[in-house]
Amino acid sequence: MSLKKKDEHDHKGWMESRDLTVVEERYLAVLMWLDKRFRLVDYLELLEDLYYKVNMQMPKSHTEQYGLDNKFWYWYPLYALGSFSTLAYLVAAVSGALLGFYYAPAAAGATGDPTVAWNSVAAIMTDLNFGYMLRSIHRWSAQVMTAAVFLHMLRVYFTGAYKEPRELNWIIGIVLISMTMVFGYTGYLLPWNQLSFWAGQIGVEMALSIPMAGEWVAQLMFGGFTLTQATLQRMYILHVFFLPFLVTALIAVHIGIVWMQGIAEPH
Amino acid sequence: MTANDTNTDSEKVTDGGEEVATDGTGIVPPDDETPTWRERKERTQGLSRLTYEYFERARREDQDLRQESSYVERDVLGFPAWPHEMIRNLALTSFFVGMILFLSATLPPEMLPPADASNTPAVILPDWYLYWSFGLLKLGPLNPDLSLLGGQKLMADRTYGVLANLVIVGAITIVPFVNKGAARRPVEQPFWAAVGVFGVVFAATISALSIKNLVPMDSHLLFDLTFLLPFVAGFITYAVLKSMREGYMFTLNRRYYRLRPPK
Repeated sequence: MSLKKKDEHDHKGWMESRDLTVVEERYLAVLMWLDKRFRLVDYLELLEDLYYKVNMQMPKSHTEQYGLDNKFWYWYPLYALGSFSTLAYLVAAVSGALLGFYYAPAAAGATGDPTVAWNSVAAIMTDLNFGYMLRSIHRWSAQVMTAAVFLHMLRVYFTGAYKEPRELNWIIGIVLISMTMVFGYTGYLLPWNQLSFWAGQIGVEMALSIPMAGEWVAQLMFGGFTLTQATLQRMYILHVFFLPFLVTALIAVHIGIVWMQGIAEPH
Repeated sequence: MTANDTNTDSEKVTDGGEEVATDGTGIVPPDDETPTWRERKERTQGLSRLTYEYFERARREDQDLRQESSYVERDVLGFPAWPHEMIRNLALTSFFVGMILFLSATLPPEMLPPADASNTPAVILPDWYLYWSFGLLKLGPLNPDLSLLGGQKLMADRTYGVLANLVIVGAITIVPFVNKGAARRPVEQPFWAAVGVFGVVFAATISALSIKNLVPMDSHLLFDLTFLLPFVAGFITYAVLKSMREGYMFTLNRRYYRLRPPK
């Protein structure tokens, strides 16, 4: 009998000693990977003894633990950027919903004469009471959100907050920032003015230049190889129906994971 | 055994003298035969059983680590959520939303002429946050010629540009799987901070390249600067942080040894 203390926490050895099938092994590997990152065990435990957990103790705060109470931390203001982008997203959502009452996504004829979409935007700007303000709020909150999201990513990069348990959230963040830009792009096309039209043209050509799948992508995203009513329709649906659900859900997951893992502060 | 059988046993009669239904229709207190939740979980088969076993092991591990550690937990003495934190958050939120409203009121968006397919404007631009991507589409001069194919390019310039977008997004995505370790501050990892500064400056220069019609500079010079400046900025960052690190690590180590003097 060995005097060496048995390592109770040797999950890997335990796994090997169990003689598992391939399915079980894969399953356990994924379970462990997720548990290591999101502490699923804690939540299970929390559910089980929620009953008698009335005297919750809080751990020491970061500044207490490292004796930094007396120091002003130059990173701290940058930790609000995530909240600011969420706030700007909410403002954009509300103003966008109101704008939706007055906007009509139709391009009667893109060849020469003014279009329905452009006219409805013009009506919002000139005829509607506070309409210009509404459009302005929508546009500015979108700009602020994009800027905040970019700066948020820089903060996370430079403080190494993407490291070990937070890889998944970094990837979700990449998806979110991409979707924010697609949000902006589709919104940019909606007024159907000269810049919208020619930016749309660039988009179609980018889609067409994808090897193999190019034409298919152009059909799917822009409804053809030239800009028509179908393009505007698709951009509108992407902007007001598709992306809002997707982005809201992803933001919820993103923030939920931050909630579970806590904020990564630099040491 | 039904309720109609010999019911003289005192244990089967409740306080009210009513008969105890053991056929599942009434509330039956658990006896020794009733499995506990633990036993129920242990009896399961397959993947749920495996999950249970793993979780039990992991919880045990957590408990052991908690008991071993000298980590000091404190009583609940936090900043109160109500009303202090709520008021602070409300103040921050209204300040921020107020800023958006102020910007909106002072700088309303312009109204450009309507779309016209037959008339190409002099300047074609996406919104500012896509300048970097638009700039990548203009990297045609970097698309290598391959003389083997009779001087033909291997792929079209615009395919190359789209590919450059994918490469950049992909590179950003895999960062957590390449840069590991516990370092959090730029001083602790000068190389990765330099890479970050390189990226930021490159985003700026490639954006400038995308609006080259509007930049008062020779376009060839601008193209060269687009790739030169990020490297310069990266090298400077690396040099500065590398020299800062000496002093930084010294203070850090000194504090560490003061806490735990070496034997």
